Amino acid sequence: MVPAEDIHSALQKIPWFSTLTPEHFKKTAELAHLRYAKAGETFFREGDKQDYVYIVLEGRVSLDIFVPHHGKMHFYTAEPYDVFGWSSVTPGMHQRIAGAVAVLDSTVACIDAEGLRQFAENDHDFGYLLMRRLANVVASRLMVTRLQLIDMFAGPTETMND
Amino acid sequence: MTDKSLTIGSTVALPKPELDLLMADLRKNGFQTVGPHLQDESIVYTKIDGLKDLPRGILSEQNPASYRMIQTGKDRYFDFIPGGQSWKQFLFPPRHTLFTAVKDGKWLLKENDEPTPRYALIGVRACELAAIHIQDRVFLREDFSDPIYRLRREGLFILAVNCLDPDATCFCVSMGTGPRLAAGFDLCVTELDEVFLVEVGSELGRSLLADRTYDLPSAFVQNTANQALERAAESMVRTMDTSDLPGLLTGQLEAERWTEVGKRCLSCANCTLVCPTCFCWDATDQVDILGKSTRRERVWDSCFNPHYSYVVGGNTRPNIRSRYRQWLTHKLGAWKGQFDVLGCVGCGRCITWCPAGIDLTEEVAAIRAEVKA
Amino acid sequence: MTTTLINTSAHSAGYTDKLLLPHWAEIVKIIPEIEGVTTFQLKFTDPEVENRYRFEPGQFNMLYVPGYGEAAISMSSDLETANGLLVHTIRHIGNVTRGTSRLKVGDVVGIRGPFGTSWPLDAIEGLDVVIACGGIGLPPLRGAIYRIIRNRDKYGKVTLLYGARTPKDLIYPTEYETWQKAGIDMQVTVDRGDETWTGRVGVVPMWFYHFRVDPHKTAVLTCGPEIMMRFVIYEALARRIPSDHIYISLERNMKCGQGACGHCQQGPYFICKDGPVFPFSALENIFNVEEY
Repeated sequence: MVPAEDIHSALQKIPWFSTLTPEHFKKTAELAHLRYAKAGETFFREGDKQDYVYIVLEGRVSLDIFVPHHGKMHFYTAEPYDVFGWSSVTPGMHQRIAGAVAVLDSTVACIDAEGLRQFAENDHDFGYLLMRRLANVVASRLMVTRLQLIDMFAGPTETMND
Repeated sequence: MTDKSLTIGSTVALPKPELDLLMADLRKNGFQTVGPHLQDESIVYTKIDGLKDLPRGILSEQNPASYRMIQTGKDRYFDFIPGGQSWKQFLFPPRHTLFTAVKDGKWLLKENDEPTPRYALIGVRACELAAIHIQDRVFLREDFSDPIYRLRREGLFILAVNCLDPDATCFCVSMGTGPRLAAGFDLCVTELDEVFLVEVGSELGRSLLADRTYDLPSAFVQNTANQALERAAESMVRTMDTSDLPGLLTGQLEAERWTEVGKRCLSCANCTLVCPTCFCWDATDQVDILGKSTRRERVWDSCFNPHYSYVVGGNTRPNIRSRYRQWLTHKLGAWKGQFDVLGCVGCGRCITWCPAGIDLTEEVAAIRAEVKA
Repeated sequence: MTTTLINTSAHSAGYTDKLLLPHWAEIVKIIPEIEGVTTFQLKFTDPEVENRYRFEPGQFNMLYVPGYGEAAISMSSDLETANGLLVHTIRHIGNVTRGTSRLKVGDVVGIRGPFGTSWPLDAIEGLDVVIACGGIGLPPLRGAIYRIIRNRDKYGKVTLLYGARTPKDLIYPTEYETWQKAGIDMQVTVDRGDETWTGRVGVVPMWFYHFRVDPHKTAVLTCGPEIMMRFVIYEALARRIPSDHIYISLERNMKCGQGACGHCQQGPYFICKDGPVFPFSALENIFNVEEY
């Protein structure tokens, strides 16, 4: 476990944390620790239990889904200050629905998902800020997913003589 | 009467047979005389040799999606209202070879060296002359001058005719283009039962007329003509409110009416082909069977054709709704910004020749009503 | 129009008095890029035409393949780098461009051009530049990239966001390292990564979530699928980059290149002569209208 000052200064760099009250910040930081992952190191696999929500500080973490006959499909990379594993904070989800692996040497803040959920439950002011942040994360993921779904670089479905 | 008194702006009374001789003179001077001719129960514009080829004693009766010829038996040549063809076919040919590329080891270009025909247009109506002036702005610009159009336009002789009996699809009064001609012709004819009243509009017109036998028009004849012209303007039933048309249409790109008219429109392109101002064209290669030579042609195109807005990946206007919207918002909207004039002269051809009877004056009114609602 | 469009000064070899009459150019080199995409290096057969011909990045030529017809193809280089040659990267997907896929070195094609407006590389001097492109949208910007690299000190931060479907769909991959070293922040994104890909996975517009831009000193140049450009523009506008600092290259059916044939007319413009590069401020009322 890394010293508390490290996690404090690391979290302070993340834009969202600078909007928290000192008390909210302190309590969140108590739930967090840093993890240094070498390229290739796995954070979680599909089906794992939901223990942490992650924020990338440095490096790059790739999210993947295993598709039979296609292997692992990488559908998103989390860049610095990006959240991944966010569904662990939402109620009702009990296992990972994607895998996460560092593709570059990465520093990641790991926040205890259950602790965060409890905190939000007990303090709705904090809960509101947390859910608002997560709504933004989900909205951005949705935008990316839509554009991928459109498959905008695909060849034309019809051709005509011109 | 001597030709010395004849000047630009003069009006004379010309016995009808004299027009035959005038056309003959035009041909002697190297012009092809082209004009209205009754063919297949329709008025077409084609090569004519004289009065005998004109549609004598013919009236047309035009309504949305309806065109009929009526025999009057009268000794008059210009009572009809023009049919589906317009003069643009002579200045902007529907099909024109640009060049031929021939492969003889390497590819060589052979330019089209056919001589440019010199046309004398016989019987140009006010709306049609306005249409030519609009196409002048389209084809002869500072940054682009169409050589095919320019050469034909430069050599053009225009014998104009005032309209005395507008059809039900006409709305030139609304568009400010007719029915009376003001300028831009070589000669302008107002036809009365006994005689042509002819106004001189150019030096060439003056010199041609000077060789003919004519009289000074009596006050009675002039009065009759003026009254007929006033009646013509008053009798026009169809109207279009042109106030800020570009603003109206470009502000209503999502009007419900586009969806509604999109259901009636067949996207057949008739309106664009009969329109005297529509100018879109395509270029295509006609390859010989051995692949050794290919003829590159310019052909008329239409914004209603599916391939018109094809880009890699598909058609940018797959729905008829958007093609009709494209046509009307260009013609009555963006056209003004691009060419400083609207692209409609009120000739009514697109109304008559639309197989679905779509009437642009009605469409504009409906869009206006949507704004007010 | 209250909006100022881009003014491009270039010396054309294409505006002859003969309508659509091309100049022949010989294929001197063919470079396969990715599947279905090839770069052609062309040289005018008439030296006088070659000497007269000048262009700016962002402009296009009408390329004529006898028997197939013409297609509008962007310049894929700049004048200095091309060194007298015309460089066109072509996706063989339409009737004409499929015709080009059969051509060999030594064959000739017809060229008319250059046409249209160019990337406003002088006007954006002093600004940070975000170049956002996708797929076959990179070639029309490569000339601009070369120009910026040669005048690197005239611009602030320069970021190239490039997106493609998969890692094997990336065009010009061997040049990225050179560009990065020349002071361009390369941010390459693919829709779908494979096991070996360590770059970004996602879509081009998401870059805006991860990086801060200074809206008052940033220009955006974008070219690619219209849907991608739309989202780049949403993100840029959301970050308060002024719409006249966002430049977009549009694609429409074109037959003449001179605003004459009518095909590319859209709203008040002929895309071929008033564009293809527009400040977004000139398109605000028409860009998002479906099927317009």
